[in-house]
Amino acid sequence: MKVVKLRLANRTLLDPAAAQWKKVAAEQVVLGATPLHKQPSGHVRAAWAGKAIGSVRSVKVQAAHNGDNIAIRLEWLDDSKDLDHGDGTVFPDAAGVLFPLKGEAELESMGSPEAPVNAWFWRANLPEGEAQELIAKGVGTLEPAPKRQTEARSRWYRGRWQVVFSRPLSVRGDAVRFSARKAAKVAFAVWEGSSQERGGLKSFSKVWQELSIQ
Amino acid sequence: MAKTKQKKDTAPRQVAMVFDLNKCIGCQTCSVACKTLWTNEDSTDYQWWCTVNTQPGRGHPRDYEAMGGGYRDGVPQPGRLPARREWGGGWDFNYDEVLYGGKGNSTFLQHVGDEPEWGPNWDEDQGAGEYPNAYYFYLPRLCNHCTKPACVDACPRDAMYKRSEDGIVLRDETRCRGYQFCAEACPYKKVYFNFLRNVSQQCIMCFPRVEQNVAPACARQCPGRAVWFGMLDDAEGPVSQLVNKWKVALPLHPEYGTDANIFYIPPVGPARLHEDHSFDEETPRIPREYLESLFGPKVNAALDTLTTEMAKTKNGRKSKLMDTLIAYWWKDMFKPYDRDPAEIKWK
Repeated sequence: MKVVKLRLANRTLLDPAAAQWKKVAAEQVVLGATPLHKQPSGHVRAAWAGKAIGSVRSVKVQAAHNGDNIAIRLEWLDDSKDLDHGDGTVFPDAAGVLFPLKGEAELESMGSPEAPVNAWFWRANLPEGEAQELIAKGVGTLEPAPKRQTEARSRWYRGRWQVVFSRPLSVRGDAVRFSARKAAKVAFAVWEGSSQERGGLKSFSKVWQELSIQ
Repeated sequence: MAKTKQKKDTAPRQVAMVFDLNKCIGCQTCSVACKTLWTNEDSTDYQWWCTVNTQPGRGHPRDYEAMGGGYRDGVPQPGRLPARREWGGGWDFNYDEVLYGGKGNSTFLQHVGDEPEWGPNWDEDQGAGEYPNAYYFYLPRLCNHCTKPACVDACPRDAMYKRSEDGIVLRDETRCRGYQFCAEACPYKKVYFNFLRNVSQQCIMCFPRVEQNVAPACARQCPGRAVWFGMLDDAEGPVSQLVNKWKVALPLHPEYGTDANIFYIPPVGPARLHEDHSFDEETPRIPREYLESLFGPKVNAALDTLTTEMAKTKNGRKSKLMDTLIAYWWKDMFKPYDRDPAEIKWK
């Protein structure tokens, strides 16, 4: 997966509706359900025993940068636009991009104490523009990253969610580093709110993809 | 996928409460005491951490007993989230229009928005049975601060825990990400969602008061002397006496398998009336099967003890159990948590 260079203002790069995104090559990434038997609670396993996890089967991914910021655009089919908790039995739709902080972190477990992961997280009920930046060291350990440097913008258009995450290319602290010399590892996840997907109940790309800066 | 942290789901000491359903008059002072203290913010409008429901009744949220959760033979049971309409409450009214909009003489005060279909006390005093043998009683309900809390067990983030000093079940709101697995797992459906803050919330057993030796607001404010509060291992205290010694205080739905720590003295109820309106002392007006469905089979022994001890006092003899239940000295119901909150300078 290539991160192509575009001559765009940061604002435009972050705009999921920007026409320039049409020119950026897209990759359709297959997603799969998180395995039920690995959910960390007997109650979650019991409640979900008869239900399907992983409603969203694939996500279209594009990536670009303008020299200052890197942006990753996700697009997936979703008939139900879940902006909030609705009648109390649904969850807002959400999406995430995951990076190992160093080396080969375990993807399915969201890293480990030795090999943490860095997540960019968008949820439909976060204030527009806001993304959460998180660090995880295994299942159930997500914590806010010390410094939030990632933004996200979204729109639901004709049965599809379009979400763009953007972050400065060079940052300090506990955050994934991008370099033209070495491809970064990346993974994707989508939560379908109308199916009550949240937390560990999601669709995710089961292997790390490579992200190379052009 | 090994967990990196040990769950804090057990506690060596446990606070508990006993409600006497023979004394509860359904006045909701406990509900309102809690409401004014803890749930008067936006998005807590529909939250009633303490509610008094009429039994038989559908409860709050509506038909919560059919929503699953808890354990059967130690095995976690699937639960479901209540819908907002099943909670009801938190309605908006046209206060501005009527009280400040100059329409006080032309418009009724009425709710705004969807037609309410349920609320925290929707089926009050409906009960069951036919005249002259109709019956009902009141059941105050709050978080049971269970010894085996399904909510704590269900949280994949270890955001919930039992405090080791008193067994109060709490949630670290900085760790809670609003997944609501706790609410699904709670068989008593006493976990609420704060839609604005994206966190779950429930009764905190007034822990800041308990830390200052002040009983929780619901207990202290009860005007009917119907609530005792104390440590379950305080052998001389009334809570332990009623639960462990006399065995007349029982948890609600023991079959849910969470070992609830809110206990109830079951209602003895009045005698039935024959068709000629003479007393039928043989058949309880509140069917035993119904009470068993709420409090389990131990309710029979509890009711037998209660009627035996009541008969003693009726015949002019002394009964220590009756003395405790009458609660001659109000403060004895909470010792040592009997400090006056007005004396304390709260931070």
